Amino acid sequence: MILLSIAVSIASRISDLLSLTFIILVALISSKLPFKKLFAELNYFLFLIILVLVVHSFSIPGTPITNWPVPNPTWEGVNSGLVFGWRIILLVAISMILIATTTLSTLQNVIGWGLHPVPLIPGAKISTMIGLTFTLVPLIFDQASEMLDAQKSRCIAGRKNPIERIFFLVFPLLLQTFRRADEMILAMESRCYCEQRTPEIFKTKTLDWVILLSLGLVCCAIFFQLG
Amino acid sequence: MNILTTQNLTHTFPNGFTAINDINLAIQAGEFIIIAGTNGSGKTVLMQHFNGLLLPTEGRVLVEGEPVTKDLTSARKKIGLIFQNSDNQIVGQTVAEDVAFGPENLRLPRAEVASRVKEALDAVDLSELANQPPHTLSGGQKRKLAIAGVLAMKPQVIVFDEPFTGLDYPGVLQVLKQIVTLHQKGHTLILVTHDLDKVLAHAGRLIIMEKGRIVKDGHPNDLIEKVEAYGIHKPFGENRSITTMTWLS
Repeated sequence: MILLSIAVSIASRISDLLSLTFIILVALISSKLPFKKLFAELNYFLFLIILVLVVHSFSIPGTPITNWPVPNPTWEGVNSGLVFGWRIILLVAISMILIATTTLSTLQNVIGWGLHPVPLIPGAKISTMIGLTFTLVPLIFDQASEMLDAQKSRCIAGRKNPIERIFFLVFPLLLQTFRRADEMILAMESRCYCEQRTPEIFKTKTLDWVILLSLGLVCCAIFFQLG
Repeated sequence: MNILTTQNLTHTFPNGFTAINDINLAIQAGEFIIIAGTNGSGKTVLMQHFNGLLLPTEGRVLVEGEPVTKDLTSARKKIGLIFQNSDNQIVGQTVAEDVAFGPENLRLPRAEVASRVKEALDAVDLSELANQPPHTLSGGQKRKLAIAGVLAMKPQVIVFDEPFTGLDYPGVLQVLKQIVTLHQKGHTLILVTHDLDKVLAHAGRLIIMEKGRIVKDGHPNDLIEKVEAYGIHKPFGENRSITTMTWLS
Protein backbone atom coordinates (compact mmCIF):
# COMPACT_ATOMS: atom_id res chain seq x y z
CA MET A 1 0.00 0.00 0.00
CA ILE A 2 2.87 2.36 0.81
CA LEU A 3 4.53 1.58 -2.52
CA LEU A 4 1.25 2.06 -4.35
CA SER A 5 0.62 5.39 -2.63
CA ILE A 6 4.10 6.66 -3.55
CA ALA A 7 3.63 5.49 -7.14
CA VAL A 8 0.24 7.25 -7.38
CA SER A 9 1.69 10.43 -5.89
CA ILE A 10 4.48 10.71 -8.47
CA ALA A 11 2.78 9.25 -11.56
CA SER A 12 2.10 11.99 -14.13
CA ARG A 13 1.66 10.18 -17.47
CA ILE A 14 -1.81 9.02 -18.40
CA SER A 15 -0.47 5.51 -19.17
CA ASP A 16 1.06 5.25 -15.65
CA LEU A 17 -2.15 6.36 -14.02
CA LEU A 18 -4.13 3.92 -16.16
CA SER A 19 -1.87 1.03 -15.08
CA LEU A 20 -2.17 2.01 -11.42
CA THR A 21 -5.95 2.36 -11.76
CA PHE A 22 -6.09 -1.14 -13.22
CA ILE A 23 -4.10 -2.59 -10.29
CA ILE A 24 -6.28 -0.77 -7.75
CA LEU A 25 -9.42 -2.00 -9.54
CA VAL A 26 -8.17 -5.60 -9.39
CA ALA A 27 -7.44 -5.15 -5.66
CA LEU A 28 -10.88 -3.63 -5.19
CA ILE A 29 -12.64 -6.46 -7.01
CA SER A 30 -10.66 -9.14 -5.17
CA SER A 31 -11.48 -7.47 -1.84
CA LYS A 32 -15.20 -8.07 -2.59
CA LEU A 33 -16.10 -4.70 -1.11
CA PRO A 34 -19.46 -3.13 -2.09
CA PHE A 35 -18.63 -0.89 -5.09
CA LYS A 36 -21.69 1.33 -4.83
CA LYS A 37 -21.10 2.14 -1.20
CA LEU A 38 -17.45 2.92 -1.83
CA PHE A 39 -18.23 5.30 -4.67
CA ALA A 40 -20.87 6.95 -2.50
CA GLU A 41 -18.14 7.58 0.08
CA LEU A 42 -16.07 9.28 -2.65
CA ASN A 43 -18.77 11.99 -2.85
CA TYR A 44 -17.24 13.56 0.24
CA PHE A 45 -14.07 14.22 -1.78
CA LEU A 46 -15.91 15.66 -4.77
CA PHE A 47 -15.69 19.21 -3.44
CA LEU A 48 -11.94 18.85 -2.91
CA ILE A 49 -11.45 17.48 -6.42
CA ILE A 50 -13.49 20.32 -7.98
CA LEU A 51 -11.53 22.85 -5.96
CA VAL A 52 -8.21 21.38 -7.17
CA LEU A 53 -9.48 21.43 -10.76
CA VAL A 54 -10.57 25.08 -10.55
CA VAL A 55 -7.37 26.24 -8.84
CA HIS A 56 -5.18 24.42 -11.38
CA SER A 57 -7.27 25.66 -14.33
CA PHE A 58 -6.85 29.28 -13.36
CA SER A 59 -3.33 29.24 -11.92
CA ILE A 60 -1.32 27.28 -14.50
CA PRO A 61 -0.25 29.33 -17.51
CA GLY A 62 -0.97 27.99 -21.00
CA THR A 63 -3.48 28.12 -23.83
CA PRO A 64 -6.67 29.90 -22.70
CA ILE A 65 -9.94 28.01 -23.23
CA THR A 66 -11.91 31.19 -24.11
CA ASN A 67 -10.95 34.63 -25.39
CA TRP A 68 -13.08 36.53 -22.86
CA PRO A 69 -11.43 39.61 -21.33
CA VAL A 70 -11.56 38.06 -17.83
CA PRO A 71 -9.20 35.59 -16.07
CA ASN A 72 -9.31 32.52 -18.27
CA PRO A 73 -8.83 28.85 -17.44
CA THR A 74 -6.12 27.14 -19.49
CA TRP A 75 -6.12 23.74 -21.21
CA GLU A 76 -2.86 22.86 -19.45
CA GLY A 77 -4.43 23.84 -16.10
CA VAL A 78 -7.50 21.68 -16.72
CA ASN A 79 -5.23 18.80 -17.71
CA SER A 80 -3.11 19.16 -14.56
CA GLY A 81 -6.24 19.53 -12.38
CA LEU A 82 -7.73 16.34 -13.83
CA VAL A 83 -4.50 14.42 -13.17
CA PHE A 84 -4.44 15.69 -9.56
CA GLY A 85 -8.13 14.81 -9.11
CA TRP A 86 -7.45 11.34 -10.50
CA ARG A 87 -4.57 10.90 -8.05
CA ILE A 88 -6.79 11.95 -5.13
CA ILE A 89 -9.44 9.40 -6.14
CA LEU A 90 -6.80 6.65 -6.37
CA LEU A 91 -5.28 7.55 -2.98
CA VAL A 92 -8.72 7.55 -1.37
CA ALA A 93 -9.49 4.18 -2.98
CA ILE A 94 -6.19 2.73 -1.66
CA SER A 95 -6.97 3.95 1.85
CA MET A 96 -10.50 2.56 1.64
CA ILE A 97 -9.26 -0.88 0.57
CA LEU A 98 -6.71 -0.90 3.40
CA ILE A 99 -9.21 0.18 6.07
CA ALA A 100 -12.04 -2.06 4.89
CA THR A 101 -10.00 -5.24 4.49
CA THR A 102 -7.62 -5.02 7.43
CA THR A 103 -8.59 -5.44 11.07
CA LEU A 104 -7.05 -3.12 13.62
CA SER A 105 -5.25 -5.99 15.26
CA THR A 106 -3.70 -7.07 11.94
CA LEU A 107 -2.52 -3.50 11.37
CA GLN A 108 -1.15 -3.45 14.89
CA ASN A 109 0.69 -6.75 14.35
CA VAL A 110 2.04 -5.63 10.98
CA ILE A 111 3.44 -2.46 12.54
CA GLY A 112 5.10 -4.53 15.26
CA TRP A 113 6.49 -6.95 12.68
CA GLY A 114 7.65 -4.18 10.35
CA LEU A 115 9.39 -2.18 13.08
CA HIS A 116 10.97 -5.21 14.74
CA PRO A 117 14.21 -5.20 12.70
CA VAL A 118 14.65 -1.41 13.00
CA PRO A 119 17.33 -0.73 15.61
CA LEU A 120 16.48 1.47 18.62
CA ILE A 121 12.75 1.39 17.82
CA PRO A 122 10.67 -0.77 20.18
CA GLY A 123 8.28 -2.24 17.60
CA ALA A 124 6.37 -4.44 20.07
CA LYS A 125 5.84 -1.54 22.47
CA ILE A 126 4.66 0.78 19.68
CA SER A 127 2.22 -1.78 18.31
CA THR A 128 0.82 -2.45 21.80
CA MET A 129 0.40 1.27 22.38
CA ILE A 130 -1.43 1.63 19.06
CA GLY A 131 -3.76 -1.23 20.04
CA LEU A 132 -4.40 0.27 23.47
CA THR A 133 -5.09 3.67 21.92
CA PHE A 134 -7.74 2.15 19.68
CA THR A 135 -9.22 0.43 22.75
CA LEU A 136 -9.08 3.48 25.01
CA VAL A 137 -10.20 6.23 22.64
CA PRO A 138 -13.87 5.13 22.37
CA LEU A 139 -13.99 4.73 26.16
CA ILE A 140 -12.58 8.24 26.62
CA PHE A 141 -15.19 9.66 24.23
CA ASP A 142 -17.96 7.83 26.13
CA GLN A 143 -16.60 9.21 29.38
CA ALA A 144 -16.40 12.74 27.96
CA SER A 145 -19.96 12.58 26.70
CA GLU A 146 -21.17 11.32 30.10
CA MET A 147 -19.29 14.13 31.87
CA LEU A 148 -20.72 16.72 29.46
CA ASP A 149 -24.25 15.48 30.14
CA ALA A 150 -23.65 15.57 33.90
CA GLN A 151 -22.34 19.13 33.63
CA LYS A 152 -25.22 20.21 31.40
CA SER A 153 -27.67 18.85 33.98
CA ARG A 154 -25.90 21.08 36.52
CA CYS A 155 -26.42 24.11 34.23
CA ILE A 156 -22.85 24.56 32.97
CA ALA A 157 -24.43 26.56 30.14
CA GLY A 158 -24.75 29.39 32.69
CA ARG A 159 -20.97 29.83 32.65
CA LYS A 160 -20.07 32.01 29.70
CA ASN A 161 -16.28 31.67 29.90
CA PRO A 162 -15.38 28.91 27.37
CA ILE A 163 -11.94 28.34 28.93
CA GLU A 164 -13.55 27.70 32.29
CA ARG A 165 -15.96 25.23 30.67
CA ILE A 166 -13.14 23.41 28.91
CA PHE A 167 -11.22 23.24 32.20
CA PHE A 168 -14.22 21.70 33.98
CA LEU A 169 -14.37 18.99 31.33
CA VAL A 170 -10.69 18.34 30.63
CA PHE A 171 -9.42 18.13 34.21
CA PRO A 172 -11.74 15.34 35.44
CA LEU A 173 -11.52 13.61 32.07
CA LEU A 174 -7.72 13.46 32.22
CA LEU A 175 -7.85 12.28 35.82
CA GLN A 176 -10.28 9.53 34.90
CA THR A 177 -8.23 8.55 31.83
CA PHE A 178 -5.03 8.24 33.86
CA ARG A 179 -6.85 6.14 36.48
CA ARG A 180 -8.26 3.94 33.74
CA ALA A 181 -4.83 3.60 32.14
CA ASP A 182 -3.34 2.64 35.54
CA GLU A 183 -5.95 -0.05 36.01
CA MET A 184 -5.40 -1.31 32.47
CA ILE A 185 -1.65 -1.61 33.13
CA LEU A 186 -2.38 -3.62 36.30
CA ALA A 187 -4.74 -5.90 34.39
CA MET A 188 -2.12 -6.40 31.63
CA GLU A 189 0.63 -7.13 34.15
CA SER A 190 -1.68 -9.56 35.89
CA ARG A 191 -1.95 -11.42 32.56
CA CYS A 192 1.87 -11.57 32.27
CA TYR A 193 2.27 -8.83 29.64
CA CYS A 194 5.71 -8.78 28.05
CA GLU A 195 7.13 -7.60 24.74
CA GLN A 196 8.21 -11.08 23.66
CA ARG A 197 4.83 -12.58 22.82
CA THR A 198 3.65 -15.41 20.58
CA PRO A 199 4.52 -14.19 17.08
CA GLU A 200 1.69 -13.51 14.66
CA ILE A 201 1.47 -15.74 11.59
CA PHE A 202 0.65 -13.77 8.45
CA LYS A 203 -1.00 -15.54 5.52
CA THR A 204 -0.95 -14.53 1.85
CA LYS A 205 -2.85 -15.79 -1.17
CA THR A 206 -1.56 -16.19 -4.74
CA LEU A 207 -3.54 -13.12 -5.83
CA ASP A 208 -1.69 -11.01 -3.23
CA TRP A 209 1.64 -11.99 -4.83
CA VAL A 210 0.29 -11.38 -8.36
CA ILE A 211 -0.86 -7.86 -7.38
CA LEU A 212 2.44 -7.17 -5.61
CA LEU A 213 4.46 -8.31 -8.65
CA SER A 214 2.39 -6.24 -11.10
CA LEU A 215 2.68 -3.27 -8.78
CA GLY A 216 6.45 -3.73 -8.59
CA LEU A 217 6.68 -3.73 -12.38
CA VAL A 218 4.50 -0.63 -12.78
CA CYS A 219 6.42 1.18 -10.01
CA CYS A 220 9.73 0.34 -11.71
CA ALA A 221 8.40 1.75 -14.96
CA ILE A 222 7.27 4.95 -13.23
CA PHE A 223 10.49 5.41 -11.24
CA PHE A 224 12.77 4.74 -14.27
CA GLN A 225 10.76 7.10 -16.42
CA LEU A 226 11.22 9.78 -13.76
CA GLY A 227 14.96 9.09 -13.54
CA MET B 1 -0.02 -27.90 51.24
CA ASN B 2 -1.65 -24.47 51.14
CA ILE B 3 -2.04 -23.09 47.66
CA LEU B 4 -1.76 -19.49 48.85
CA THR B 5 -0.29 -18.21 52.07
CA THR B 6 0.42 -14.75 53.43
CA GLN B 7 2.74 -14.29 56.36
CA ASN B 8 2.71 -11.04 58.34
CA LEU B 9 1.79 -9.24 55.14
CA THR B 10 1.93 -5.48 55.47
CA HIS B 11 1.81 -2.82 52.80
CA THR B 12 2.61 0.80 53.53
CA PHE B 13 2.37 3.27 50.65
CA PRO B 14 5.10 5.90 50.14
CA ASN B 15 2.80 8.54 51.69
CA GLY B 16 2.90 6.59 54.95
CA PHE B 17 -0.60 5.09 54.70
CA THR B 18 -0.70 1.46 55.79
CA ALA B 19 -3.33 -0.22 53.62
CA ILE B 20 -2.96 -3.73 55.04
CA ASN B 21 -1.34 -4.71 58.28
CA ASP B 22 -0.04 -8.05 59.49
CA ILE B 23 -2.25 -10.26 57.35
CA ASN B 24 -1.85 -13.98 57.94
CA LEU B 25 -3.85 -16.22 55.65
CA ALA B 26 -3.69 -19.82 54.54
CA ILE B 27 -5.83 -20.85 51.62
CA GLN B 28 -6.21 -24.46 50.58
CA ALA B 29 -6.94 -25.78 47.09
CA GLY B 30 -10.64 -25.95 46.25
CA GLU B 31 -11.79 -23.40 48.82
CA PHE B 32 -14.40 -20.75 48.03
CA ILE B 33 -13.65 -17.73 50.16
CA ILE B 34 -15.42 -14.41 50.42
CA ILE B 35 -13.43 -11.43 51.63
CA ALA B 36 -15.78 -8.69 52.81
CA GLY B 37 -15.26 -5.28 54.33
CA THR B 38 -16.16 -1.63 53.95
CA ASN B 39 -14.55 0.61 51.30
CA GLY B 40 -10.94 1.28 52.24
CA SER B 41 -10.64 -1.79 54.44
CA GLY B 42 -7.74 -3.05 52.31
CA LYS B 43 -9.47 -5.83 50.33
CA THR B 44 -8.25 -4.76 46.89
CA VAL B 45 -4.70 -4.03 48.10
CA LEU B 46 -4.59 -7.51 49.65
CA MET B 47 -5.88 -9.03 46.40
CA GLN B 48 -3.15 -7.29 44.39
CA HIS B 49 -0.49 -8.93 46.56
CA PHE B 50 -1.69 -12.42 45.69
CA ASN B 51 0.03 -12.40 42.29
CA GLY B 52 2.68 -9.80 42.88
CA LEU B 53 1.02 -6.76 41.34
CA LEU B 54 1.88 -5.09 44.61
CA LEU B 55 4.85 -6.29 46.62
CA PRO B 56 4.76 -6.31 50.42
CA THR B 57 6.67 -3.76 52.40
CA GLU B 58 6.80 -6.37 55.19
CA GLY B 59 6.02 -10.06 55.30
CA ARG B 60 5.58 -12.30 52.28
CA VAL B 61 3.17 -14.09 50.00
CA LEU B 62 3.71 -17.73 49.09
CA VAL B 63 2.12 -19.53 46.16
CA GLU B 64 2.41 -23.30 46.60
CA GLY B 65 5.14 -22.65 49.14
CA GLU B 66 7.25 -20.46 46.82
CA PRO B 67 7.56 -16.71 47.46
CA VAL B 68 5.71 -14.70 44.80
CA THR B 69 8.79 -12.53 44.30
CA LYS B 70 10.85 -15.55 43.18
CA ASP B 71 8.99 -15.88 39.87
CA LEU B 72 6.32 -13.28 39.18
CA THR B 73 5.26 -14.81 35.85
CA SER B 74 4.69 -18.19 37.47
CA ALA B 75 2.67 -16.56 40.29
CA ARG B 76 0.54 -14.68 37.76
CA LYS B 77 -0.09 -17.87 35.82
CA LYS B 78 -1.30 -19.60 38.96
CA ILE B 79 -3.30 -16.74 40.47
CA GLY B 80 -5.68 -15.00 38.06
CA LEU B 81 -7.15 -11.64 39.03
CA ILE B 82 -10.43 -10.33 37.67
CA PHE B 83 -10.82 -6.63 38.30
CA GLN B 84 -13.92 -4.67 39.20
CA ASN B 85 -14.18 -2.74 35.94
CA SER B 86 -14.17 -5.11 32.98
CA ASP B 87 -13.75 -2.29 30.47
CA ASN B 88 -10.32 -1.54 31.92
CA GLN B 89 -9.01 -5.06 31.47
CA ILE B 90 -10.19 -5.71 27.91
CA VAL B 91 -7.28 -5.06 25.57
CA GLY B 92 -8.18 -7.03 22.43
CA GLN B 93 -9.96 -5.75 19.35
CA THR B 94 -12.21 -8.82 19.33
CA VAL B 95 -13.46 -11.17 22.05
CA ALA B 96 -11.13 -13.98 20.87
CA GLU B 97 -8.11 -11.68 20.63
CA ASP B 98 -8.70 -10.47 24.15
CA VAL B 99 -8.80 -14.01 25.50
CA ALA B 100 -5.62 -14.79 23.53
CA PHE B 101 -3.76 -11.90 25.18
CA GLY B 102 -2.65 -13.91 28.25
CA PRO B 103 -1.54 -17.11 26.44
CA GLU B 104 0.33 -14.99 23.87
CA ASN B 105 2.19 -13.28 26.71
CA LEU B 106 3.28 -16.75 27.86
CA ARG B 107 4.71 -17.29 24.34
CA LEU B 108 2.67 -20.44 23.87
CA PRO B 109 2.64 -21.91 20.34
CA ARG B 110 -0.09 -20.48 18.09
CA ALA B 111 -2.05 -23.76 18.05
CA GLU B 112 -2.02 -23.95 21.84
CA VAL B 113 -3.19 -20.33 22.05
CA ALA B 114 -6.09 -21.11 19.70
CA SER B 115 -7.05 -24.21 21.68
CA ARG B 116 -6.99 -22.31 25.00
CA VAL B 117 -9.07 -19.48 23.54
CA LYS B 118 -11.70 -21.95 22.33
CA GLU B 119 -11.74 -23.78 25.66
CA ALA B 120 -12.06 -20.56 27.69
CA LEU B 121 -14.78 -19.12 25.46
CA ASP B 122 -16.70 -22.42 25.60
CA ALA B 123 -16.42 -22.40 29.39
CA VAL B 124 -18.12 -19.00 29.64
CA ASP B 125 -20.55 -19.53 26.71
CA LEU B 126 -19.09 -16.74 24.60
CA SER B 127 -17.92 -18.85 21.63
CA GLU B 128 -20.56 -17.41 19.33
CA LEU B 129 -19.30 -13.89 20.02
CA ALA B 130 -15.63 -14.74 19.38
CA ASN B 131 -15.28 -12.27 16.50
CA GLN B 132 -17.33 -9.46 18.02
CA PRO B 133 -15.65 -6.26 19.21
CA PRO B 134 -15.74 -6.34 23.05
CA HIS B 135 -17.40 -2.92 23.35
CA THR B 136 -20.58 -4.37 21.81
CA LEU B 137 -21.02 -6.85 24.69
CA SER B 138 -23.37 -6.35 27.64
CA GLY B 139 -22.02 -5.75 31.14
CA GLY B 140 -22.47 -9.41 32.13
CA GLN B 141 -20.84 -10.62 28.91
CA LYS B 142 -17.87 -8.28 29.45
CA ARG B 143 -17.41 -9.68 32.94
CA LYS B 144 -17.55 -13.20 31.47
CA LEU B 145 -14.98 -12.16 28.88
CA ALA B 146 -12.70 -11.00 31.68
CA ILE B 147 -13.18 -14.41 33.31
CA ALA B 148 -12.37 -16.16 30.01
CA GLY B 149 -9.22 -14.03 29.66
CA VAL B 150 -8.02 -15.35 33.01
CA LEU B 151 -9.23 -18.94 32.41
CA ALA B 152 -7.13 -19.11 29.23
CA MET B 153 -4.05 -18.87 31.45
CA LYS B 154 -5.21 -21.98 33.34
CA PRO B 155 -4.88 -20.52 36.83
CA GLN B 156 -5.33 -22.57 39.98
CA VAL B 157 -6.79 -19.71 41.98
CA ILE B 158 -9.17 -17.07 40.61
CA VAL B 159 -9.67 -13.85 42.53
CA PHE B 160 -12.69 -11.69 41.75
CA ASP B 161 -12.81 -8.05 42.83
CA GLU B 162 -16.45 -6.93 43.29
CA PRO B 163 -17.71 -9.08 40.38
CA PHE B 164 -21.31 -7.86 40.60
CA THR B 165 -20.71 -4.11 40.60
CA GLY B 166 -22.66 -2.28 37.91
CA LEU B 167 -24.46 -5.37 36.61
CA ASP B 168 -28.21 -5.67 36.10
CA TYR B 169 -30.11 -8.71 37.40
CA PRO B 170 -29.49 -10.96 34.34
CA GLY B 171 -25.82 -9.87 34.38
CA VAL B 172 -25.46 -10.85 38.06
CA LEU B 173 -27.06 -14.22 37.32
CA GLN B 174 -24.73 -14.86 34.37
CA VAL B 175 -21.62 -14.06 36.40
CA LEU B 176 -22.81 -15.87 39.53
CA LYS B 177 -23.59 -19.05 37.57
CA GLN B 178 -20.11 -18.83 36.08
CA ILE B 179 -18.50 -18.45 39.47
CA VAL B 180 -20.39 -21.41 40.92
CA THR B 181 -19.51 -23.55 37.87
CA LEU B 182 -15.83 -22.68 38.22
CA HIS B 183 -15.88 -23.77 41.85
CA GLN B 184 -17.66 -27.00 40.94
CA LYS B 185 -14.91 -27.67 38.39
CA GLY B 186 -12.34 -27.48 41.16
CA HIS B 187 -10.98 -23.96 40.98
CA THR B 188 -10.03 -22.21 44.19
CA LEU B 189 -12.04 -19.00 44.33
CA ILE B 190 -11.52 -15.83 46.32
CA LEU B 191 -14.28 -13.30 45.94
CA VAL B 192 -13.91 -9.76 47.22
CA THR B 193 -17.39 -8.31 47.76
CA HIS B 194 -19.81 -6.83 50.22
CA ASP B 195 -22.85 -8.23 48.37
CA LEU B 196 -23.20 -11.22 50.68
CA ASP B 197 -26.84 -11.67 49.70
CA LYS B 198 -25.90 -12.68 46.16
CA VAL B 199 -23.27 -15.32 46.82
CA LEU B 200 -22.67 -16.22 50.47
CA ALA B 201 -24.58 -19.53 50.16
CA HIS B 202 -21.85 -20.89 47.87
CA ALA B 203 -18.86 -19.93 50.01
CA GLY B 204 -17.26 -22.11 52.65
CA ARG B 205 -15.32 -19.37 54.37
CA LEU B 206 -15.89 -15.70 55.14
CA ILE B 207 -13.07 -13.29 55.93
CA ILE B 208 -13.93 -9.84 57.25
CA MET B 209 -11.46 -7.00 56.93
CA GLU B 210 -11.43 -3.70 58.75
CA LYS B 211 -8.83 -0.93 58.64
CA GLY B 212 -6.32 -3.14 56.83
CA ARG B 213 -6.57 -6.08 59.22
CA ILE B 214 -8.40 -9.40 59.19
CA VAL B 215 -10.86 -9.14 62.06
CA LYS B 216 -12.89 -12.30 61.49
CA ASP B 217 -12.17 -15.51 59.60
CA GLY B 218 -14.50 -18.47 59.73
CA HIS B 219 -17.51 -20.30 58.36
CA PRO B 220 -20.29 -17.98 57.12
CA ASN B 221 -22.74 -19.62 59.57
CA ASP B 222 -20.61 -18.50 62.49
CA LEU B 223 -20.05 -14.96 61.28
CA ILE B 224 -23.26 -13.85 59.58
CA GLU B 225 -24.77 -12.36 62.76
CA LYS B 226 -21.65 -10.27 63.33
CA VAL B 227 -21.15 -8.70 59.89
CA GLU B 228 -23.20 -5.55 60.56
CA ALA B 229 -20.75 -4.61 63.31
CA TYR B 230 -18.09 -4.26 60.60
CA GLY B 231 -20.17 -2.14 58.21
CA ILE B 232 -21.23 -5.04 55.99
CA HIS B 233 -24.90 -5.39 55.12
CA LYS B 234 -26.47 -8.54 56.57
CA PRO B 235 -28.97 -9.94 54.07
CA PHE B 236 -32.55 -9.22 55.19
CA GLY B 237 -34.58 -11.81 57.11
CA GLU B 238 -34.69 -12.91 60.74
CA ASN B 239 -32.90 -16.23 61.38
CA ARG B 240 -32.38 -16.51 57.65
CA SER B 241 -30.44 -19.57 56.60
CA ILE B 242 -27.11 -19.05 54.83
CA THR B 243 -28.27 -21.45 52.10
CA THR B 244 -30.84 -18.86 50.95
CA MET B 245 -28.18 -16.18 50.46
CA THR B 246 -27.81 -16.57 46.73
CA TRP B 247 -29.45 -15.08 43.68
CA LEU B 248 -29.50 -18.47 42.00
CA SER B 249 -32.75 -20.32 42.49
